[in-house]
Amino acid sequence: YILTVSMPLDCKEEPGSLTRCPSISQEKLLDRVIHHAELIYRVSEESCSLFEEMFIPLPLRLQSNQAGFACITKTLPIPSSKSEIEQISDKWLLHSVLMLVQSWIEPLVYLQTTLDRYDNAPEMLVNKTKWVSEKLVSLEQGVVALIKKMLDEGTFTTTYNEQGLFQYDTLPDMLESVMRDYTLLSCFKKDAHKMETFLKLLKCRQADKYNCA
Amino acid sequence: TSNSGSPLIEPHFTECISRNQETFRCWWSPGSFHNLSSPGALRVFYLKKEPPTSQWKECPEYIHSNRECFFDAHHTSIWITYCVQLRTQNNITYFNEDDCFSVENIVRPDPPVSLNWTLMTISPSRINYDVMVNWESPPTADVRLGWMRLEYELQYRDRNTTNWEAVTRGLVVIIIMMSSVSFCFLESPVHLTLVFVFGTVGILILIMLIVISQQNRLMIFLLPPVPAPKIKGIDSELLKKGKLDELNFMLSSGGMDGLPIYAPDFYQDEPWVELMEVNETEDVDSGEKEDNRGSDTQKLLGQSQPVSQHINISCSNSISGPDAESAQATCYNTDLPEEETLMLMATLLPGQPDEEETSLDTVERSSASETDERQLIQTQTRGPQTWVNTDFYAQVSNVMPSGGVVLSPGQQLRIQESISAAEKETKKKRKESEDSEESEERKQKEPQFQLLVVDPEGSAYSTESSIQQISTPPPSSPMPGEGYHIIHPQPVEPRPAATTEVNQSPYILPDSPQFFAPVADYTVVQDLDSHHSLLLNLPSHQTPPPCLPQHPLKTPMPVGYITPDLLGNLSQ
Repeated sequence: YILTVSMPLDCKEEPGSLTRCPSISQEKLLDRVIHHAELIYRVSEESCSLFEEMFIPLPLRLQSNQAGFACITKTLPIPSSKSEIEQISDKWLLHSVLMLVQSWIEPLVYLQTTLDRYDNAPEMLVNKTKWVSEKLVSLEQGVVALIKKMLDEGTFTTTYNEQGLFQYDTLPDMLESVMRDYTLLSCFKKDAHKMETFLKLLKCRQADKYNCA
Repeated sequence: TSNSGSPLIEPHFTECISRNQETFRCWWSPGSFHNLSSPGALRVFYLKKEPPTSQWKECPEYIHSNRECFFDAHHTSIWITYCVQLRTQNNITYFNEDDCFSVENIVRPDPPVSLNWTLMTISPSRINYDVMVNWESPPTADVRLGWMRLEYELQYRDRNTTNWEAVTRGLVVIIIMMSSVSFCFLESPVHLTLVFVFGTVGILILIMLIVISQQNRLMIFLLPPVPAPKIKGIDSELLKKGKLDELNFMLSSGGMDGLPIYAPDFYQDEPWVELMEVNETEDVDSGEKEDNRGSDTQKLLGQSQPVSQHINISCSNSISGPDAESAQATCYNTDLPEEETLMLMATLLPGQPDEEETSLDTVERSSASETDERQLIQTQTRGPQTWVNTDFYAQVSNVMPSGGVVLSPGQQLRIQESISAAEKETKKKRKESEDSEESEERKQKEPQFQLLVVDPEGSAYSTESSIQQISTPPPSSPMPGEGYHIIHPQPVEPRPAATTEVNQSPYILPDSPQFFAPVADYTVVQDLDSHHSLLLNLPSHQTPPPCLPQHPLKTPMPVGYITPDLLGNLSQ
């Protein structure tokens, strides 16, 4: 994997300025953003599997499918069917992605710290989680730059983090704590897949507006 | 009816699959309940865990022939959990927690289509072939839209085997064009071997070129030149021929800053000439006993020590002998082997033999009794000595265990003769005669050179830094340690204060072009007999330096030497 892909954000602009970054083309930026999202999804998938193997007893594993109801981002107004997604605008595609990305930055940081409490968390898991957490920040920057480029929107300061989706408190029960972390990882995997899919749809639309619906 | 022996299987779902992540299907089975196998006997309900409501809904489309429930795109949501259950007409529910899933997790795409292969090239040996395999993604998977991302693995098998193997060897080039994937399978291992061979040969040639071009520098790096001997503060040029006067000047107090003069310190009542052996300073690891010589040399050369501390006095704790009580001293340790005995220093009378009676009293202690003791050996000289005409030194190159001194030959032949006479005399007393002989022979071969700085009047002393021992320690060293013995001539009137002037300029042996004289051990000249020959007492072994009785911190440096003239006179 190319885990060292970095977002070429050459422009550091003051908040509020309307100038664009001329240094990278929109197509390239979108490609890089998509690449980021693909990698993030792949690594999150591996992390979830690792965690499941290490810490989740077999009878509890399938409950991850039911965890969709407990994901922190369930309240976000994000379309979930292909038909719906095909109907929403580019703007909402991008904003949906941004919403997701910003919602997960803080919980991933929390997940890093909570993994330290595990006695035998494999180093690969810790490293992957750390990597994902870092790349998510890069993805946010990329999406923000993309919004500026594609939608001609100025820098906006509203971040979806402020919605306070994530409240965490230390659970006394070890199993509950483990299950919560497991739910977090599963939900993030799901949302990473969402981000990748949305961005790819966006790319298709950029290339061929009519066939991509 | 059911068999009594077989377990009862409830109606259940066999599989739920999505081919394109847009729709999905579920198949069920009545299990052991054959009465429920008729169409419509079992109904499918699903639950979509999606706010705000979550209630069970019936299957949107039945395909009873397949016992299948189909969820079209309108009813399919990705990333949302579905649960399915079977109900009978009587609302008996068969539900399993395992039947909850999320659509993106049950995706199983269709296989690729249009698989084809093309033969590209054949090697001359007809062993290796280049084949291009290409295919297309399944039409159901909307790869173009990016809705699904597919990964492929090419597998092959021999025609008459059944096991498929994944392609891992050779060069694999994947060409992705739009929705079709071409897979170039090149097998050419021979090329890699040739590349490695040529690469290695090229690297070797490069290394050789570098070595050849940088030969000189490499030689210097690998075999550094031996540094020429050096006295601190003295230009080695001066030590060569013809510059005696300048060197004399330099060694006198007028010229040198780096040659501090120490005051003599004597017992006035004791006709002792103190002999001290130069040892390492405290801060130098004296872990190498056998390298005492070298370190002493360095000390004398002033290379590694501060100017003011040229000599350490290594003392034994107690001194036995005739005048033990007067020879006490506080001692500073150097780590010398316990079994070493004190080196006896031969002090050779400075000055004209006919001017004074010089008597040397040597005290020789054997360390047999107390191994930890070091011995203080003092010799005494008396009378003023003039060194004006003395410009020549002989070196005591070895101290025999029996107490004789081995003098190494100096510049002139007569020295050699006298020395050899002395050596012969002491040969009998040697314990380790072979080694001494070797060293003597070696010394006879090389003009030996020892620099002793002498204060003729006994009022001022030069430090051992002015004493240069240009020697390399002989490889065989039954003679442990020691660098120099500096003989301090006993002044007639004891002068406690140190003066920095040297009335008679000390002399250096200038003429020896070779500066190789093995550092010698010393023996004590017992006495001068009537024939002015030296009676030598060789100690058993050497090393530990005699203690300076009263002022160990202040290290006065008695200096003394025997001139070849003197020796020649003595031996006659």
